[in-house]
Amino acid sequence: MEFLEKNAIYIVMIIVLIVWVGVFLYLWNLDKRIKNIEKEIGEKK
Amino acid sequence: MIWKIFLFLLLCFVSVAGISFPIVDNPQAWYEFPFIKGLEENAKIIFFHVPTAWLTVIAFFMTAIYSFKYLRKKNLDDDAKSYAAAQLGIIFCILATVTGAVWAKFAWGSFWSWDPRQTSIFALLLIYGAWFALRSSIESEEKRATLSSVYAIIAFVTVPFFIFILPRIMTGLHPGSADDTNAGPVIDFKMNSNMQLIFFLSLIGFTILYFWMWRLGYKSLIYRDKLNKQLLLRG
Amino acid sequence: MSKSYSLFKKDLHSELRTRYAINSLAMFIIVTLSVILFSIGNETISQSLTGGLFWVVIFFTSMSGLSRVFVSEEERGTSLTLQLIAAPSTVFSGKLLFNLILVFAMNTVIAILYSALFEAFIIKNFGLFIVSFILGNIGLAFASTIIAAIISKAGAKGTLYPVLSFPILLPLILTSVQLTLFSIDGTSFETAQFELAIVVCYDVIILTVSYLLFDFIWKE
Repeated sequence: MEFLEKNAIYIVMIIVLIVWVGVFLYLWNLDKRIKNIEKEIGEKK
Repeated sequence: MIWKIFLFLLLCFVSVAGISFPIVDNPQAWYEFPFIKGLEENAKIIFFHVPTAWLTVIAFFMTAIYSFKYLRKKNLDDDAKSYAAAQLGIIFCILATVTGAVWAKFAWGSFWSWDPRQTSIFALLLIYGAWFALRSSIESEEKRATLSSVYAIIAFVTVPFFIFILPRIMTGLHPGSADDTNAGPVIDFKMNSNMQLIFFLSLIGFTILYFWMWRLGYKSLIYRDKLNKQLLLRG
Repeated sequence: MSKSYSLFKKDLHSELRTRYAINSLAMFIIVTLSVILFSIGNETISQSLTGGLFWVVIFFTSMSGLSRVFVSEEERGTSLTLQLIAAPSTVFSGKLLFNLILVFAMNTVIAILYSALFEAFIIKNFGLFIVSFILGNIGLAFASTIIAAIISKAGAKGTLYPVLSFPILLPLILTSVQLTLFSIDGTSFETAQFELAIVVCYDVIILTVSYLLFDFIWKE
């Protein structure tokens, strides 16, 4: 904890990582859902 | 599939390295960044701000290209592609403007100072805004596609003028601009090789991310139109 | 060419009969100039500011009246007839000619009124001012005509026009303001060469793009 208080930049880094993981998971899910719709429409690209 | 995991790891690495690697006077180890006079710790924004600005330009370029394609072939899919590109473009444009302004507060002392780069990103923001305003005012699909394509191309031809005019009118504060003595062209020689490597990795990562998001965007638009048409035919 | 001239004459006649654009333009010139004069009051403003304000007046005045050429055709429902009897490029040339005359008339009035009302607006290099004024007016007319064609087909015509025109006109206006400042300072032609070249390029590029793209707009 003391280490983090002295080096606040690591907190920034952790927050950025969490945000990026969130964005990535969102995109991943979206990709899967769109692929399902693609299959339902019966179109292969 | 694999490239998505690669992208995930790449951007994780870029954000860890870009934020946490220390800046020292004489970089020795591979994880140390050089001290750039006039930028100091602020230099780290280059890994996140420059890619957003780069993507803004890419998105603008692609909007124009697909507008051109639409006008030639009259295929509504191309319109969906240019629309998806512009949607991402305006998001990255706002991100670049905001991150740039916050950085400028600490590096130059004020959020906004009408530097050539700031003015040109502002012009891009205006163009995107006008483009979406035009689209929202037209009901018919084909008409909207044609008129917005025409406007996108006209805007695309006028933008290069800013590159020539603005540096003549106002002095540049931005790192990398011509008459900037204290913090010369950062991209060229003030960065050391590992900083450059991470910078280019970040550019590559963000570009892949952009193309992924763009594909998702236009696919969802195209499928929505398709489903709407099928429903109309049945009903 | 003769067809576009007769189209121009038709526009001129209908304009002289209703005086819609001329009246709104004239009122706009008076309104913007008097707002600026009121806000200045008794204070003296610097020379460099007058150069910028001059183009502010020109921009807002053109935004009030120049969209009429195409919007009036859509409102009267005559654009379909026009499509039948004339090629798109002919229509565009006719409309362009009309807007060009309108812009020149309007800006000459603005320039005369402006130099009479603002004492700080003294031009040292008159030749440079005339050249940049003419080139700027041509660019303004070209760009505003093609944007007018776009918005005549869209909804919300009145509000959309300045919104769409501003980013397109911004390079031209910035350069013209710079050239006006040069002519106020009395700079020679050699120094202003670069800016003049920019304005000429802008005029040529906008004209080419307009002619190429007008077909698509007109057929909608």
